[in-house]
Amino acid sequence: MEKLIEILEEILPGEDVKNCTTLVDDHILTSFDILSLVSEIEDAFDVEVSPAELTPENFNSAASLWEMIGRLKEEN
Amino acid sequence: MEYHLLTYSLLFLPIVAILYQFTPARLRWIVLLAADYLFFWMVSKWLIIFLFIATLTTYGTGRILTYVTEHSTVKGKQLTKKKRCVLALGIAITLGMLIVFKYLKIFGLSLIAPIGISYYTLQTISYMTDVYRGTIKADTNFAKVALYLSFFPQIIEGPISRYSQTADALFAGRSIEYCNLTYGYQRILWGLFKKMMVADRLAPVIFKIFGDYEKYDGAAVAVAVICYTIQLYTEFSGGMDIILGSGEIFGITLPENFRQPFFASSASDFWRRWHITLGTWLKDYIFYPLSLAKPVKNFAKKVKASCGIRVSRFVAPTIALFFVWLSNGIWHGAGWTYLFYGMYYFVLIFIENITEEPIGKLITKWNIHTEKLGWRLLTAFRLFIIINVGELFFRAPSVTQGFGMLGRILTNFHISILNAMDFGLDNYDILLSMAGIFIVLMVDIIHEKGISIRDKIASCRLPVRWGFWYAVIFFIIILGAYGAGYTVVDMIYAAY
Repeated sequence: MEKLIEILEEILPGEDVKNCTTLVDDHILTSFDILSLVSEIEDAFDVEVSPAELTPENFNSAASLWEMIGRLKEEN
Repeated sequence: MEYHLLTYSLLFLPIVAILYQFTPARLRWIVLLAADYLFFWMVSKWLIIFLFIATLTTYGTGRILTYVTEHSTVKGKQLTKKKRCVLALGIAITLGMLIVFKYLKIFGLSLIAPIGISYYTLQTISYMTDVYRGTIKADTNFAKVALYLSFFPQIIEGPISRYSQTADALFAGRSIEYCNLTYGYQRILWGLFKKMMVADRLAPVIFKIFGDYEKYDGAAVAVAVICYTIQLYTEFSGGMDIILGSGEIFGITLPENFRQPFFASSASDFWRRWHITLGTWLKDYIFYPLSLAKPVKNFAKKVKASCGIRVSRFVAPTIALFFVWLSNGIWHGAGWTYLFYGMYYFVLIFIENITEEPIGKLITKWNIHTEKLGWRLLTAFRLFIIINVGELFFRAPSVTQGFGMLGRILTNFHISILNAMDFGLDNYDILLSMAGIFIVLMVDIIHEKGISIRDKIASCRLPVRWGFWYAVIFFIIILGAYGAGYTVVDMIYAAY
């Protein structure tokens, strides 16, 4: 989880990425940021994020992202 | 038959609604499907076969994808590869028909296309891709897929809906409720108002000046361009009102295609409010898949290694954005003006993306209050210019003539000539179209504030609300642009 927080802080400097649960809903995470985030997550956790995973539910918080990563790891 | 003709709203639609209501709920889908195919037949005759082929392909691809997923002996990447082949074949068939009908004219072969092929083809692709991605399950019921692809109110010009949005409601056979019926017809009335009071009334100005711009002063050309933007908005969003109102009667909520686009804050925001279902389709089926494609990601990584994340974050989205706008332009038709229109927005949105951060910093540094009226007016004015320049090229007979018109506006602009100018409209038409535009603007302002006008009117006492809607009907009948001296203008977006 720490690694994920580090990635989020690099992409969203100055945001409370640990506690925010509306990253997409409040437009904190733009579609550009989402794509950077996907690229970083794929490298860091050795998973493949498909376009079907790009939903607000998966990207709204660090916790939901972590859940998605776990699920993708299991699927791999 | 087109939606703005009274034969649709006063004959076809009520007959279908009556038959639907008096049929047992479990069989109502048959009435809808029969109406869909009858409607298609009335417009496109034997070309209905291509709709049927597209439906068969979509249904079949979904079923094969499910079979491959459940019964394949291979897993992981090999399974994905297998599924991708099935999906590619399905898309190739439906997209192939679109290409043949729409783009063969580049080679001098012009075919009459089945009505709505540009819209239902995108729906076939979204269905097949969603099954491939696992976001929806392939339907085992062929009729349900056929209903989804051919629903008569949306077949001519969208909105482009997803299977998950409309299929269940189309098949459910819900009873027509009083509230749905009145709300549906109220929305149809509003659509007719926009079309007959504003869009069709402005048509002569546009035909006259766009057809022979060199004869006119730059100020007159600018008026024609603004008229075209207003015509396109009132005509397309009015069409959507008729379409969504028709769906509402049957209890089917079709996705919205417009959300007060002229109140957008930027070109990107404009496209989140204008032809919304095309924009979201392009985002989900072109922007994201391309951004996540391996070669694009690898290229972005190389840029990151040499230039850092601040630069590399723009690489994948910009490449994908280019193809999104290329597709947007091409989707509108086989013409250089459409391609130019797509590239125009690509460049604008690209500039917006890369300047967003520095401009944000300047706004903070200079302590500009972006919520204040002055700033908002300035933003609205800037966007209005951007939209009008885009529509100028969209409507111009050629890109060269588009530049010619723009040049005329910039170099030969004499506002004083407008008084003596003959726009092909008499004072009565000018006054009525301006009144119509004012009403549309007021309604958009109210909607932008999140207020539902229909709810407000529905909460009034019976004589007031009936009085209001009767007044609207008579307003359209007495003052609408139809009959002697007017030409009924075909739905612009039905041609794309």
